[in-house]
Amino acid sequence: MTAALHVEDVTVRYGRVVAVDGVSFTIPAGQAVALVGRNGAGKSSLLRAVAGIEPAQGTVGVHGRPCHHEHVNAPVAYVAQRSHARWDLALTSLDVVLAGCRARGSRWWRPTSRERAAAAAALEQVGLAAVAGQPIARLSGGQAQRVLLARAFVQRPDVMLLDEPFAGLDRAAVARLAAAIHELCGAGVAVLCALHELDIARHVFGRTVALDRRVVADGPTRDVLSPRGLERLFIGESGEAQAVPVA
Amino acid sequence: MTPYLLGGMLDALRAWVLDPFAASFMQRALLACVAVGLTAPLVGVWALARRLVYLTDAMSHAVLAGVAGAVIVGTSLLLGGFVAALLMAGLVAVLLLRARVPEDGAIGVVGQGLFALGVVGVSLSSDARALSHLLFGNPLTVTTTDNAIQVAIAAVVVVGSWLLTPLLAVTSFDPRHAATVGVPVAVVDTLLLVAVSIVVVVGLTSVGVLMIVTLMTAPAVAARLLAPTLTASVPLAAGLGVAAGVLGLLLSYHVSLPTGPLVALVAVCQVAIAVAVTAPRRRRRSALVAEPPPTPQADHVAHV
Repeated sequence: MTAALHVEDVTVRYGRVVAVDGVSFTIPAGQAVALVGRNGAGKSSLLRAVAGIEPAQGTVGVHGRPCHHEHVNAPVAYVAQRSHARWDLALTSLDVVLAGCRARGSRWWRPTSRERAAAAAALEQVGLAAVAGQPIARLSGGQAQRVLLARAFVQRPDVMLLDEPFAGLDRAAVARLAAAIHELCGAGVAVLCALHELDIARHVFGRTVALDRRVVADGPTRDVLSPRGLERLFIGESGEAQAVPVA
Repeated sequence: MTPYLLGGMLDALRAWVLDPFAASFMQRALLACVAVGLTAPLVGVWALARRLVYLTDAMSHAVLAGVAGAVIVGTSLLLGGFVAALLMAGLVAVLLLRARVPEDGAIGVVGQGLFALGVVGVSLSSDARALSHLLFGNPLTVTTTDNAIQVAIAAVVVVGSWLLTPLLAVTSFDPRHAATVGVPVAVVDTLLLVAVSIVVVVGLTSVGVLMIVTLMTAPAVAARLLAPTLTASVPLAAGLGVAAGVLGLLLSYHVSLPTGPLVALVAVCQVAIAVAVTAPRRRRRSALVAEPPPTPQADHVAHV
């Protein structure tokens, strides 16, 4: 299987603070990978660096093509943990999702009817077809997150980066999102998803990368998130607890 | 009410609306008010959405420097105003990007500085009366050439607004994402600022530079209250702007008061009416928000 996403020696610094330190891994096309780690482990910084919106050292490649910071990165879709978007604007959910079509369509002209249909289908995929014409200001937090997911889906990316997409979702929404991730993998998309919910990681993702600024574990989820693996990850060699998982 | 009385009232209304436009200077004034009433809100909707109203207000003041300079030098007032608008945009950019001055501080300093320069220019000018027309608006002095420029710019702004509405929407909502998918965010931002400058400068002959900001914002605010979505508010704002322009001009003619302030007052009345009309809807929404439906949370997942 060819590597859809190739991350090599990526380092992110904020002044003197090293948030991500020489991280390397690859993800084949069609594989969904969970990215776990305690708060401040560098998960969001790594995702932003891979998305090309965070200055970083190292190499990021998609299907062998290098991606650079501040360059258009159409094959990579990124759904932020907390979007800095203007949710107070009276745009509709469909307007927001149509922004994703710009990645592969025209960047200047008005959306075509085909792009509108694709955006409507993406909203249906995340269970929000009913609110397509509704102003985004009226959406709940979970619905807003799903609108951003639909915007990423419609981008038809080769690599999907999701930052805490399950946070605050109810059971039905979690199941729907898990199904959507499987659907993406079936279409050959590589998915890298930062999350805190370990049960979801066990059920949805076959592979898990554990991060603590560096990659501290990378392998099948059942091994990385086994009781022994968790002890290694979160208690550490020193025996001092960093964050205790709720089993 | 008898049919005779009703017919008489309709005749009086028709005469009140149509008779003023028998004179050619009023026809030119009407064209100016329609053109500015159409274009100012089209730009104003996006200035409001992007919280650029303060910038447009400062720019309307800064334009005075260019107008005064043009009167002193004896060149085109539109050209002088446009140069001042560009100068303001350039100086604000230098303060923001080079000196790292906060945005509102940079806008305030440059806008008020150029306004002060304009006031000094007005004092030095021998044609202070013409300058007061430009400040407060006098569409009765609009020439056929002015009309041609106004109509040409209105056509460009209307077509540009229709083409760029989706791009303005996505760059207003989430400029960072828009950039990652290849939307030329900087170009869209620049086009909007240039459009603001042009509308301010072109508005100076009809409603005056000080009133153009009201015509840019008030119909946009009223439309924002009345329309269900931002994109739907764009044509509504343009319609309200035209209505304010025409009604303000008619009132100005009949009560012999300056046109610019009357156009601005009509636009402000539109906001008051929109607030009153939409009050029941807001009350219903507040009641719904007060009793939110229970939202099931994911309670089966383990958190690190």
